[in-house]
Amino acid sequence: MENGALRKAGVILLFLALWELAPLTGLVDPLFIPRFSGVLITIRDLYQTGEFLQHTRISLLRAFSGLAVAVVIGLPLGLILGGWFPRIQQATEPLMELCAVANPVILAHIIIFFLGIGETAKTFIIAWLCVWPITFSTITGIRSADDSLLKAARSLGLGRWQLFRLVVLPSAAPSIFTGLRLSAGYAFIMLIAAEMMGAGSGLGWFIVQSQESYHVLRLFAGATVITFLGLLTDVSIRLLQNRFAFWNSEPGESFHLQGRGIV
Amino acid sequence: MRLPAAVNSLLLRSSGVLIFLILWETAPRLAWVDPYFVPPLSIVVREIWLLLETGDLSRHLLVSSWRAVTGLSLALVVALPLGIILGRWLTGLASALEPLLRLLSQINPFAMLPLFLLFFGIGETAKVAVVTWVTLWPILFYTIIATRTVDPLQIKSAAALGVSRSEMLCKVILPAAVPTIFIGIRIGASLTFFILIAAEMLGAGSGLGWLVHNSAMNYLIPRIYAGATFIVLLGFLLNRLLLYIEASLSIWQGSQSGSPVAGQSRASSWRPDRGSAVAGTAILVLVLILGALEVRRLNQEALAGASSSSSHAKHFGTPADSSDGGL
Repeated sequence: MENGALRKAGVILLFLALWELAPLTGLVDPLFIPRFSGVLITIRDLYQTGEFLQHTRISLLRAFSGLAVAVVIGLPLGLILGGWFPRIQQATEPLMELCAVANPVILAHIIIFFLGIGETAKTFIIAWLCVWPITFSTITGIRSADDSLLKAARSLGLGRWQLFRLVVLPSAAPSIFTGLRLSAGYAFIMLIAAEMMGAGSGLGWFIVQSQESYHVLRLFAGATVITFLGLLTDVSIRLLQNRFAFWNSEPGESFHLQGRGIV
Repeated sequence: MRLPAAVNSLLLRSSGVLIFLILWETAPRLAWVDPYFVPPLSIVVREIWLLLETGDLSRHLLVSSWRAVTGLSLALVVALPLGIILGRWLTGLASALEPLLRLLSQINPFAMLPLFLLFFGIGETAKVAVVTWVTLWPILFYTIIATRTVDPLQIKSAAALGVSRSEMLCKVILPAAVPTIFIGIRIGASLTFFILIAAEMLGAGSGLGWLVHNSAMNYLIPRIYAGATFIVLLGFLLNRLLLYIEASLSIWQGSQSGSPVAGQSRASSWRPDRGSAVAGTAILVLVLILGALEVRRLNQEALAGASSSSSHAKHFGTPADSSDGGL
């Protein structure tokens, strides 16, 4: 076990070393791919000026508010549709599928008519993309509650609420967490897209700005920070999942879910 | 007695969409929303028809799908063999590489877009590269997992029957892995679509993303809706087509592949045969060839239009040349 972790860390270190050495030795043009240490130094310098910190904070705020809105809407929606109103769920499923394929980048142009180009529009776009995986995975999770378990619990005299809290929710939790992780990934993808298309702040704006002025080091710094933030979010959700839904995390299930949620 | 039930369920399932469409038509007409910002459905449909008639829509559609299909095929060419090797033979290496691959896949594709633009210019290469990058990871991951989790019993019995290495790969491992691999392809394809439209908005002179972006810049509001509606429909159809191919590829997997999620309430009754899978693939190949011709033509037109900038010329022609030797 120890050995495996060591090897995994080694591979990442090897990659970083390659990133450092390739431009140094002229294997790739250092003008296009700067050295890793150079990128790190740029990040440090940028943080010292304070402006970059502001962009990071704004971006994180946007991503998490969009994700929060998606959770607040998607989770109850999924619970209600999946748990209590299967007929309404059937009636709205094709519509929801269409909504889920509706490309938020395209919708952005329409949303701007209604919400302007302010923060609301960005939050809305991020929330729009994130809400579907959560809703779908919640519905699936609730549907996949073991029938015999439900019957057993009912025959033991559990009330509706207890049944929901003690049986349905725990069995749906792994699936819900998978949806959540998918959504968090989307939130970061969409965040950058939204900031690229119309914003005056944030990491996405910073990246585009750097590209337009050929500041390759800053471009790499922005991309590295974004990647790191996305990774950190993913890992924290996975830790939450291990803490609250460690049971029944059968990988096969999550594959189907992903295939579905993403639509 | 079966028919009314089927009709009934169809009505139920389509009611949500129908109500939405009716609302879309009536709300602007009754001035619940400003008809200038939300044109009624009929006007949008007429706009789509107009765009179809002039051939604009089909041209941009062809260009966009060529970019998507080319990127996807490139990703397949790289990821499939790599995934099979990592999943089947170099399992130790695969587990060591896993965190690195996860890290790379986490890199935000939109953050990569400016990089690719920087490397490849605003020609076709950058867009195809972005698509390839995005689709590479899901396909690679699912291929590794698929080949790794082939039923050991099947492999052992095949080995006991004395099949050769290549036969083992073609007749045992691949058939067992294909359904899972295809999930990766489907995820990649839907991401492609999403990223491509964005890439076309940020820097292109053709394609569906450009069409909508251009309409938005010129305040052609019905055209924005027409483009958006068309793209939504296209995404929906693409998803369904891929599900269809997926189902037909995994036909021998029996009940297991009637995935509880993908086919929730969907009629699991139709099971297409392999012929339709071949037909689907043929359509993709056709898109590849026709699209290459169209992209090449458009780019040459653009070239003729702006013959002064010779530095751009380098970026134009090249990708089209590589994929269609014929012309």
